[in-house]
Amino acid sequence: MNAAQIGYVFDEAATMLRRHKAANAVSIVIMGLSLLILVVFLLITLNMQAVIDRAGDEMRMYVFLEDGAGEPAARDIQMRLLGLAGVEEVVYVPREEALVSFREALGKDSDILDALESNPLPDAFRVKLKPDYIRSERLEAMSQEIGRWKGVEETRYGERWLERGEALVKGFYFADLFVGLIILLSVIFVIANTVRLTVISRQRSIEVARLVGATNAYIRIPFLVEGAVQGAVAAGLAVGLAAIVHALARRHLPGLLFLGGEAIAAFVFVCMVLGAVVSLGAMRRLLRL
Amino acid sequence: MEQDQRIIVGVYHLSKNFGKHFGLHDINLQVANGEFVFLVGPSGAGKSTLLRMIYMDDFPDAGQVVIGPHVSTRMRAAGIAELRRKTGIVFQDFRLLGDKTVFENVALALKAAGAGLGEIKKQVTEILMRVGLYHKRYDFPHELSGGEQQRVAIARAIANRPAVLLADEPTGNLDAVVTRSILELLFKINAGGTAVLMATHDLELVKSFGQRIIYLEGGRVVKDSEMIYVGDLRKRIDDSLVGRRAERLEERDIRGEREER
Ligand SMILES: Nc1ncnc2c1ncn2[C@@H]1O[C@H](COP(=O)(O)OP(=O)(O)O)[C@@H](O)[C@H]1O
Ligand SMILES: [Mg+2]
Repeated sequence: MNAAQIGYVFDEAATMLRRHKAANAVSIVIMGLSLLILVVFLLITLNMQAVIDRAGDEMRMYVFLEDGAGEPAARDIQMRLLGLAGVEEVVYVPREEALVSFREALGKDSDILDALESNPLPDAFRVKLKPDYIRSERLEAMSQEIGRWKGVEETRYGERWLERGEALVKGFYFADLFVGLIILLSVIFVIANTVRLTVISRQRSIEVARLVGATNAYIRIPFLVEGAVQGAVAAGLAVGLAAIVHALARRHLPGLLFLGGEAIAAFVFVCMVLGAVVSLGAMRRLLRL
Repeated sequence: MEQDQRIIVGVYHLSKNFGKHFGLHDINLQVANGEFVFLVGPSGAGKSTLLRMIYMDDFPDAGQVVIGPHVSTRMRAAGIAELRRKTGIVFQDFRLLGDKTVFENVALALKAAGAGLGEIKKQVTEILMRVGLYHKRYDFPHELSGGEQQRVAIARAIANRPAVLLADEPTGNLDAVVTRSILELLFKINAGGTAVLMATHDLELVKSFGQRIIYLEGGRVVKDSEMIYVGDLRKRIDDSLVGRRAERLEERDIRGEREER
């Protein structure tokens, strides 16, 4: 192909998009709606992921000190905690402060604490962990090790909660992947068929173009461009509709996240490539080009 | 296979089988540069099939077709595209692109050949003037009459100045008057040096022109008049044949008008 022809094929794609407005609009709407399902699915995944991350972020391990362990021992334990891999932050919680928190947590019922003669709570360290270390096995091992240290009474990190949460998250990821794959395949199927209809509807034109000596590349490229444009516009449409859905849902669920700019750009780009590839495939199979 | 430089289309011992009922059998025919040949035979004789082998939309089981440097037994996709650009093809059903204007339909052949925009504009304008449709250049095919559509198809076919024009029943969908004008146009194109091979079932239509006629029946060439080498004979043929064609067309005209009354 020479330079002039490269211009012609893009011109041809633009002309065809313009002249077949209705057909293209239908294709784009069909693709856009099926992509919308995919985007909504991605949003659900994204928000679930955020919930899971936040849960992990809020998780702490408490290291309770023996009564009367003394300040030097406490300092030593703090240094050792900070030296452990997986520990991000260590905060000292003196028993007085713990009691205040406890009181606050009890709220109205806090008067039962008035019956106490002395503060029954021990001094403790509140340990924030790195996300990678929030795993049952790792924390189990860590807590056993810390438990053996001199001056440590016991450790707690909500082991039951963690185990149940982990099972839940695992189940969620599994289901998410499964559903995601099905949606992705359906979307590709819908797009492939929609683009195929475009190619079929212009099969005659393609035959005529071959008759007058158009090369395969010359015939194919306008369809590739059209497929790419359809894919990109449909992706934009899907993101736009998803934004509306998101805005509506947010009234009930404030803090709901939306895709970031980069993710949207990547999504549109992937759909554009998909449109082009699928249109190439349709021509391959239908026209033996 | 090398063939005589004066021959533009050569078919040699071509055979093609389509089941029990039909096939092309050992077909031999040559068309010289600048020649005008009618390929005549009843419906189902195999004319369209033979033409398809000539523009290499299909290939023979045995034998070969040679057009210029292109030989059917060693063709590749790129070669076919090149061959089509150097061969004009016209059909009974016009085969115009409905979503393109007259101008764009003609330009298509030139764009496919990689011509520059300026050249395309000049060439298409000139050709549309020649076929008398420049004023309809922005119309779409459905806005044209059958005869006009065929003129556009012919314009497209000759846009790349092919050495040969293949026409498969180009007047099959047209009434007598329009048929006459299309034939005139084909003769005019032929007079400009382009060889024309036109298939038709209508012997009555073409036998009066004193043109070479190849008869096809049941997939066989049953009769062929002698090939006319145009080269040195050009002048004589122009004088005698073109003159005779004009007379014949006039005669048909008069007859046609009488019949209409
Ligand atoms: N691809 C094919 N497969 C089977 N039969 C075919 C094929 N192409 C043409 N034929 C048969 O060849 C015969 C001749 O067809 P055609 O070349 O169109 O004749 P004509 O143009 O002279 O009327 C017909 O009977 C048709 O059914
Ligand atoms: Mg036929």
